[in-house]
Amino acid sequence: VVTVLAALILIASFWLLVARRLGAALNGYAAQSAVLGAVAIAVFADSGLTHLLALGVLTIGIKALAIPIMIRRQVRATVYERRETRYYVPFPTALLIAAGLALIGFVAAARIPFRVDLVPEPVLGVAIAVVLLGLFTAMARRDAILQLAGLLAAENGLLLAGLVLAPGLDLLIEFGLFLDVLIGVAVMGFLIARMHETVASTDTSELRRLRG
Amino acid sequence: MTDTGLLLALLGVPSAAGAASGIVRGATALRTLAALSHLATLGLAFALAGRVLAAGRVEALAGWLSLDPLGAVVMLVVAVVSALAAIYSDAYLGHELREGAVAPRELRKYFGLFHAFVFTMLLATTSGNLALLWTAVSATTLASAPLVDFYGSHEPLEAAWKYIVLTVAGSLIALLGFLVLYQSGVGVLGRSYDFTFVALAGSATRLTAGTAAAAFMLVLVGFGAKAGLAPMHAWLPDAHSQAPSPICAMLSGAELNCAMLAILRVYALTAPAAGTAAPRAGLLAFGLLSMVVGVVFLISQRDFKRLLAYSSIEQMGLIATGVSVGAPLALVGALLQMITHGLGKALMFFATGNLLLRFRTTSIDQVRGVVRLMPATAVLLVVGGLAIAGAPPFGLFVSEFSIVSGALRAGQWAVAAAAAGLLLLGFLALLAPFNRMTFSTSRGPAELTTPRLGRLALIPGFLLLAALLLLGVWVPAPLEQLLRAAAAVVGP
Repeated sequence: VVTVLAALILIASFWLLVARRLGAALNGYAAQSAVLGAVAIAVFADSGLTHLLALGVLTIGIKALAIPIMIRRQVRATVYERRETRYYVPFPTALLIAAGLALIGFVAAARIPFRVDLVPEPVLGVAIAVVLLGLFTAMARRDAILQLAGLLAAENGLLLAGLVLAPGLDLLIEFGLFLDVLIGVAVMGFLIARMHETVASTDTSELRRLRG
Repeated sequence: MTDTGLLLALLGVPSAAGAASGIVRGATALRTLAALSHLATLGLAFALAGRVLAAGRVEALAGWLSLDPLGAVVMLVVAVVSALAAIYSDAYLGHELREGAVAPRELRKYFGLFHAFVFTMLLATTSGNLALLWTAVSATTLASAPLVDFYGSHEPLEAAWKYIVLTVAGSLIALLGFLVLYQSGVGVLGRSYDFTFVALAGSATRLTAGTAAAAFMLVLVGFGAKAGLAPMHAWLPDAHSQAPSPICAMLSGAELNCAMLAILRVYALTAPAAGTAAPRAGLLAFGLLSMVVGVVFLISQRDFKRLLAYSSIEQMGLIATGVSVGAPLALVGALLQMITHGLGKALMFFATGNLLLRFRTTSIDQVRGVVRLMPATAVLLVVGGLAIAGAPPFGLFVSEFSIVSGALRAGQWAVAAAAAGLLLLGFLALLAPFNRMTFSTSRGPAELTTPRLGRLALIPGFLLLAALLLLGVWVPAPLEQLLRAAAAVVGP
């Protein structure tokens, strides 16, 4: 079950890279977060580690529901239905790079001599691939909202990696991480709203005055 | 007060001041609150450093907070730079308010974020739990990005966005490193253990070697981006030039050191098991590349705030290079450099802040005749410029000399030669523009129309200049003891 869910998480990351409408991309992020929450709950069911149950519920509540709503409220404009297809990297190249990054994720995971006990081994490969894809989405797409979504997806990948590498980590730490993510979304959402006021767009290629 | 009480108060004062900034009325009250609370924090920081020197470590909240000599060194820099930046903010914002460049209602946001920023940095220096350390270092970006955007026009917004996207991406890579670090302790400490520096340091030699090595590299790349190491530095010249000058002082003088502290902590934990060869090679590569990038962009720079930003990249590169040498002398030098660079860079942002307020530009070409128009600031600019460029008898000369001679004594001739050569180039590239702005009378305005600055705009700079002069002729015994103890924490 966990491996299948992990595969869905990876597919959602590809979706963020190629999605044409901002609203659809945000829904993709929400779906990815919901599946991630399900993974945490599934691992709890296998292992009985109760803090993983709390983690799963928090993930669904905060990331699948609260964060997408927060982003939509902060940037109220009608940007969500616009088609957004601009990339810093040409689209076919971006797809090739993304496939390469996913491969790197699996190879890197196979080379780390880690001790797994709760989660099937390929999941770490998925997690690292999701982190890399998310970071790449943040660098390759021009729209600020999609860059934010890429960073958030990378953070989902890290939470998945955490289930594999550090299932014993304290729940308090996860609270801290969620708090960081919430504040991060608030701050970045604020800057995106400012961007929308300043250059009447959320396209970051409008922001290129600083040089040297 | 007990040691634990001191530690909690250190974090409590900026939190309380931040909360109070949301309530108090009036610009004067906000500015006074900031100055007073940061002077209190400064006093607490010195008291804590003394306690750490005596007891070796001060802990609170069941090890979540734990201050050791290494954390104490960075805590002192953060506390000194923030306290002086709070005082300088008073003068800087006072001028901006009179000039109408800043609206009174924006002060609440400024000081609220200022306190939050200081809180996150102090939390980073006092974190005993490594996950808390990651959270705190990452949170420094979140608290300071809206401050970079404070002036609210196109360029500051661009700088803030670049800053937040690139450093958050770096933080996420570093988080993977911290998770891998946790994993490398599972073999010794079991599936669930306290993810603290103390617990891992106790069994550092028995961590899984392969994962420990990977953990360090991920943290070096991820937080290297936050510490301003090239080639992950692209955000730094923008953010460090667009923020208000007192914030620039904290970004360059204090925040970069917090990211470097996290890198040093992970280095200390992973090197015993994974060996020192690979991590030192990584530090050396990023360090020298940063020095080269810093110096190259110093030479062609036309904006005096960006000049200081590139100098920070060069200096952080030097610190990484110093750590990579491994010899105790170079390591103590690198730690002292964190202090001297932090103080020196804050000094220069205060001095150039005065230029900015009077000349209303950051262009080197449009500032002339400072010695005639603003004699006191001219002293800060030229003597401070000498100090941060690394001339004797100032503190940076001592720390830079220790790093280079440490490399020589360790037999690393090439590293010593490269570092010394780059420092010399950086010296010339940094001093030329400051001299031109101060002494040249060829172009530029004959008189300044903006109002004169008060004494408060000069006092923080002169205090820092005095401190750098003091550190240049005599490193006080307690500080030297603290630096040696901190070097011992970083280890081999």
